[in-house]
Amino acid sequence: MDTPSTFQQHVEPDLVRRLQCGDLGAFEAVYRQFEVAAWTLALRLTGRADVAQEVLQDALLKAFERARQYRGDAPFAAWLRKLVVNEALMQLRHDHLHLIEVFDETRLDEEAPVPWALVDSAALDQALNRLPDTARAVLWLYHVEGYTHVEIAREFGRSVSFSKSQLARGTKRLRELLQSKVEETPCTMG
Amino acid sequence: MHDGLDHHGMNEEASLAAALRALPASTPPRDTWPALAARVRRRRAVRKTVWFTLPAAFAACIALVMLWPLAPQRAPSPAPARVAQRPQPAFAGSPAAPDIAALQARSRQWQTWVQNLDDNGAPLNGGALAQAVALQDRIGLIDLQLSASPDRIVSASLWQQRIELLQRLGALHLQPYAVADHANHKPADTMIL
Repeated sequence: MDTPSTFQQHVEPDLVRRLQCGDLGAFEAVYRQFEVAAWTLALRLTGRADVAQEVLQDALLKAFERARQYRGDAPFAAWLRKLVVNEALMQLRHDHLHLIEVFDETRLDEEAPVPWALVDSAALDQALNRLPDTARAVLWLYHVEGYTHVEIAREFGRSVSFSKSQLARGTKRLRELLQSKVEETPCTMG
Repeated sequence: MHDGLDHHGMNEEASLAAALRALPASTPPRDTWPALAARVRRRRAVRKTVWFTLPAAFAACIALVMLWPLAPQRAPSPAPARVAQRPQPAFAGSPAAPDIAALQARSRQWQTWVQNLDDNGAPLNGGALAQAVALQDRIGLIDLQLSASPDRIVSASLWQQRIELLQRLGALHLQPYAVADHANHKPADTMIL
C-alpha cells in the first residue's frame, strides 16, 4: 500500500552514530527532523495534546538513551516511529482506551458519496477526534502509517480480526459523524 | 466515481486514506525541545551523582570494615541491649560488627540493582525524576553521616535508612514497567522491528 508517512525520511548514518555516542547536538538534530512527524503521530493516536506531549518526550528520550540498541537492520525513522507508537499505545492503555465494542447494525447508504470527500479538513479532524481511541488509532496506523492488520494486531496485543473490525467500525462511525456535517452544510456551488 | 460494488469498498478505503493523509501536520509546542533537553541534562546529572556517590559509599564501607576491629569496644551490657531489642529488632539484639556488615552487604546489593535499572530501564518521567533526585540527595547525606564514623547503633540505623531509600529509588524505576505490565504491554526494548 502506498502510504507516504511523514516518517519516511532519510537519516544520515553519521547523525545516527553521533546519537549513539550520546551527542546532545545530534539528538536535537534528530528531534528537529522528526518533531512534526512524531508530534502528528502522537497527537493522532492519543487525541489529546497533553498526552501527545508526554508521548513525544518519552519516545524521543528513549530513542536517545537506547540509540545503541538500533542496529541498522531497518530504517532509523521506522525504529523511531515504533517507539512513538509503543509509547502512545501504552498511554492509551494506561488511560483505559475506549473500544467500539458494540457494532451498530444500522445500514448506511453505501452508494452515497464518501462524506470525507465533501467536508473540509477541520471537519474531518474534528470527527476523527470524536472516534473512540482504538478506532482512531487503528484508522491512522492503517491508512496513514501503512501498518498491516497483522502489525496493528501485534501492537495492540490482539487478533487480526480485532484490527479489521476496529477499522470497519471506525470507518462506519466516521462516516456517520461526517454525514451529519454534510447534511448540515448547504450546497454552495452555483 | 465508483464503477461497481466490488470496488466500492476499495475506493472508500483509498479515499479515506487520501483524506486522512491530506490532514495538515502540526508542530509540537515550542517548549517541547527545551523541556526534553532539560530532562536529558537532569538524567545525566542523576547518573553523575550516582557515579560519584557509589565510590564514596564503597570507600566508606571498606573503611568501616577495615577500621572496625581497631575501634575501642565497649564492655557488653546485656540489660540495655535487651531493652533496645524491641524497637530495633534487626540489629539491636546483637550490636556486633556482623550486623553492620550484613546491612552494608544489603545496601551494596540494592545499589547494584538500582544502578542496573538506571542503566537499562525505561527513562523516568518528570515527576519520578524529581523524586529520584531527592532520594539521591538523601542517600548522599547519609553517606556523609556514615563517613563521620558514628557509633554502631547510629551507623546501623543509617545503613538501614540507606537501604530503604535505595528500595524506594528502585521502585521508582520499576513504575513504568508496573504500568506496562498492568496494561499487558511489552516494553519498547523487546519490540521486534
